[in-house]
Amino acid sequence: MDCRDFKEKHFAFVDDTLPGIELIGMQVHLTECDVCAKQDAMVRRSLLLFRNLPSIEPSADFSSRLQQKLNAAKLADQEANSGRARKLAATVAVTSIVMLGYIAVSLRQVDYPQDIVLAPVVAIASAPGATPMSAPAPEMVASVPAGLPIWTAALLAEQAPVHFASLDLTATTR
Amino acid sequence: MASIARKQAVQPGANVREQLKAMDDSAVVTAFLGGEERAFSELVERYQTRLLNFIYRTIGDREKAEDLVQEVFIRVYRHLHRFDRSKKFSTWAYTIASNLAKNELRNRSRNPLVLFQTVQKNWQDDDRPLQFEDTTSRPDDMYRKRHLREIVEESVAKLPEHHRNVFILRELEGKSYEEIAEITDCNLGTVKSRLNRARNSFAEIVAPYMK
Repeated sequence: MDCRDFKEKHFAFVDDTLPGIELIGMQVHLTECDVCAKQDAMVRRSLLLFRNLPSIEPSADFSSRLQQKLNAAKLADQEANSGRARKLAATVAVTSIVMLGYIAVSLRQVDYPQDIVLAPVVAIASAPGATPMSAPAPEMVASVPAGLPIWTAALLAEQAPVHFASLDLTATTR
Repeated sequence: MASIARKQAVQPGANVREQLKAMDDSAVVTAFLGGEERAFSELVERYQTRLLNFIYRTIGDREKAEDLVQEVFIRVYRHLHRFDRSKKFSTWAYTIASNLAKNELRNRSRNPLVLFQTVQKNWQDDDRPLQFEDTTSRPDDMYRKRHLREIVEESVAKLPEHHRNVFILRELEGKSYEEIAEITDCNLGTVKSRLNRARNSFAEIVAPYMK
């Protein structure tokens, strides 16, 4: 072991955390190198001095001052919390009023179903070769305007003005 | 904890305090978060002196050190509900203390007036007349011994801040390298390197006074 290695590992040597082989190496180096031995002794003595410094105690009023500060901190936290709760309640109230107002305005603008103008439902004559019906009756195939779902069309079909295609065909063939 | 106190017929308060003293830090923290206010006093009692010595040795001002220790406890009180109980409470408390001490030193270096006032306070302490307790000993030896404590404290103060921190945590507080790494937010290699340098520097500064 050289002096450089010794200095690098000295902190672990002082703390007695070196593995066995390295510890022996350090001890052997101490016997061989006066400079490192002197440095080791100086460090250990100074640490002894420092570790034995008398401990300082808190002053007599430390606890009472701390208690005052803790009480003030508790009070400040409570006020902050109640302030936050009030702000949250106010935000919720304002948001609710705005939403209700928006809903109210929207409802006024909505047209009732009887105001809706429906596209006429056009009945088309069936193709030739279709099964003849027992009673001569206009055959109607409901045509659904593009984009309207079947169930909505079924509901609205009653209200839609109906033209029978057979009448129109009759009119055109004459 | 509070229910245990209620069940006791004689001196319930004392019994609770004794139970708290027997608990480890984690259990005391749990008791406090469960509603036992006296548990916080137990934490204060356990750490006030240690934190005071740590901060005082770091910043060199006893009055300010007490203020900072109180600030540590206030922050602990406010944030204990967020503390990760799988970690060591002492490491957390020392981390807060270390950061407060660092901030104090940083503020001093920026404010020459604060630095001057601190130095002036120390001058006043040196105005005391020397008293020789033992007339058979050489006066200069007595002087050196009497002021050895101040010399040791001044020598520590001469260490660079990041060395001093590690040095105090290891030599005075007995913290492990891993704990020091966590408290100072450094890696293990850095802690070991700083400790090694701090020890050698301190030994060189103090050596002339130890002859």
